[in-house]
Amino acid sequence: MVVDDHPMWRAGVARDLQERGFEVVATASDAASAVRIAGTVRPDVVLMDLNLGAQTGVEATQQIIAARPETRVLVLSASGEQSDVLEAVKAGASGYLLKSASVEELVDAVNRTAEGAAVFTAGLAGLVLGEYRRMAAAPAGPEPAPELTDRETEVLRLVAKGMTSRQIATKLVISHRTVENHVQSTLRKLQLHNRVELARYAIEHGLDADQH
Amino acid sequence: MVRNRPAIPGISPDDDPATPFWRGLIVLRIVTWAFALGSIWLNAHTFAVAWAGWLVAGVMTVWTGVLTFFYVTPPGRLPQLVIADLVLNTVLMLSSVPIVGPAQLQGGAQTITTLWSAAVPVGGAIYGGRYWGLLFGGITAVANVLPRGYFNIYLAEDTVLLIGVSFVVGVATEATRNSADRVRQALRTEAATAERERLARSIHDGVLQVLARVRKRGLEVGGEAAEIAELAGEQEIALRSLIASGPLESTVDGDTDLRQWLQLMATPSISVAAPATPVLVPQVTAGELAAAVREALSNVDKHAGSAARAWVLLEDLGGEVVLSVRDDGVGIADGRLAAAEAEGHLGVSQSIRGRIADLGGTVELTTAPGEGTEWELHVPTGGSR
Repeated sequence: MVVDDHPMWRAGVARDLQERGFEVVATASDAASAVRIAGTVRPDVVLMDLNLGAQTGVEATQQIIAARPETRVLVLSASGEQSDVLEAVKAGASGYLLKSASVEELVDAVNRTAEGAAVFTAGLAGLVLGEYRRMAAAPAGPEPAPELTDRETEVLRLVAKGMTSRQIATKLVISHRTVENHVQSTLRKLQLHNRVELARYAIEHGLDADQH
Repeated sequence: MVRNRPAIPGISPDDDPATPFWRGLIVLRIVTWAFALGSIWLNAHTFAVAWAGWLVAGVMTVWTGVLTFFYVTPPGRLPQLVIADLVLNTVLMLSSVPIVGPAQLQGGAQTITTLWSAAVPVGGAIYGGRYWGLLFGGITAVANVLPRGYFNIYLAEDTVLLIGVSFVVGVATEATRNSADRVRQALRTEAATAERERLARSIHDGVLQVLARVRKRGLEVGGEAAEIAELAGEQEIALRSLIASGPLESTVDGDTDLRQWLQLMATPSISVAAPATPVLVPQVTAGELAAAVREALSNVDKHAGSAARAWVLLEDLGGEVVLSVRDDGVGIADGRLAAAEAEGHLGVSQSIRGRIADLGGTVELTTAPGEGTEWELHVPTGGSR
């Protein structure tokens, strides 16, 4: 499923994916219809643009994953939207690709997202790394902030410097699989923390009243 | 009238922020005119030259009408009128000597214009601010004392009031004009920012999407189209960095967000990774670091091979920033760099080391043939967050 507010881009990406054997089950041009359509067609992977106008792709990502947690969301975005990208990833997106990526990179990213792997660009690794450091430096909130292990920090830094997971595996003398696990784990901790924070916020502000 | 300022919604450029003061002045003048006329009617029988008293009353009436007519709208608030007002009033006050009579004045009689004269320095203060107020107040105070031939506590009070009130009104008018200017300035800045955002949005939604698409399709088609695609890609990234970063802003204490400096360097073959929150460093540090990174990148361009890509990573450790510049090019053979340094061909290496050392930081260079080159720059930023 492809979500983007620009018709030409939406059609182009959909065609690229179809030509390479993917089934594009739906497209959507704004956040509200993306959430609605995703609930009906149950896509394996949602390609999400973040710049959707009134409601952002971040909110759409959050709602799609809340409704059906096994949906994988791959953020496809322009550079320069760093904080939005970080928010989308915290909201549950499992990867991020620049719109300037080649078709091969896109296809590879969609495949890996479908398999449940995280798709990390160097830019996203830099953002995630920065977010962990920000949380460590900020005054402690009610929930303890998640921390990275030394090995996870090491792996993230290498990703941010543009190394592939195979290169990292060779350099650190660990298996390729282990590298991927480390990367996944940095994301999972961030998303879990985000969900706990959101739930706490909801309880504190009585937003969960309708669930009781 | 020529409009020399761009129109801002909500504020017409011809608006005089002091208009309420001018309206107040008109009211003051009419009230004091009625007072002066009453005073002449009551005292005319004591005047030395009664008919001249009524002549002055006529002049005051006409002049009050003229000023009211002109002062109602901004174009009529002319300096000639304000000064003519002062001159006329001073002459009328001094004419009290022959008209009211020196003996009557000595005996405590009022000047012929009475309170009407008080509106004059107030007008000067509204027109020209505090110094005009002081000057007009002073002249009027002198003209108030001279005809009487004596000075007592009541005249001292008049003097203080005339000068003091004019000064205060002048200060208030200046303050009003200044704050109106500031509001205008703020509205103008806001309009410019809104326009910038609107432009950025439309570039983002239109031009950038098309450029990205051209690049993608062009690369697939290959040949000449691939060249066009390459160009489109470069422009896409340049435009994106532009609309994303905006002007290089700095905070009040001179710190600047280092991310803005680095993000301008991103190209299709150079990736820049940074935190989502600002990395604030002093302006000088940012300039030196950006220059060091630029040198490292230009070195990549020259020596690492044409297909080489580069990655810049910015990390903020709180009290220290770490900048890594890595490329996947041919690397530098073991010892070659050392040999070059020994021979004095230091070039880039020394330049980067020099810059970082000046900032009190350290440089690490890792390289091996076929494995690219990596610079890691550690620089203290003083404050911890």
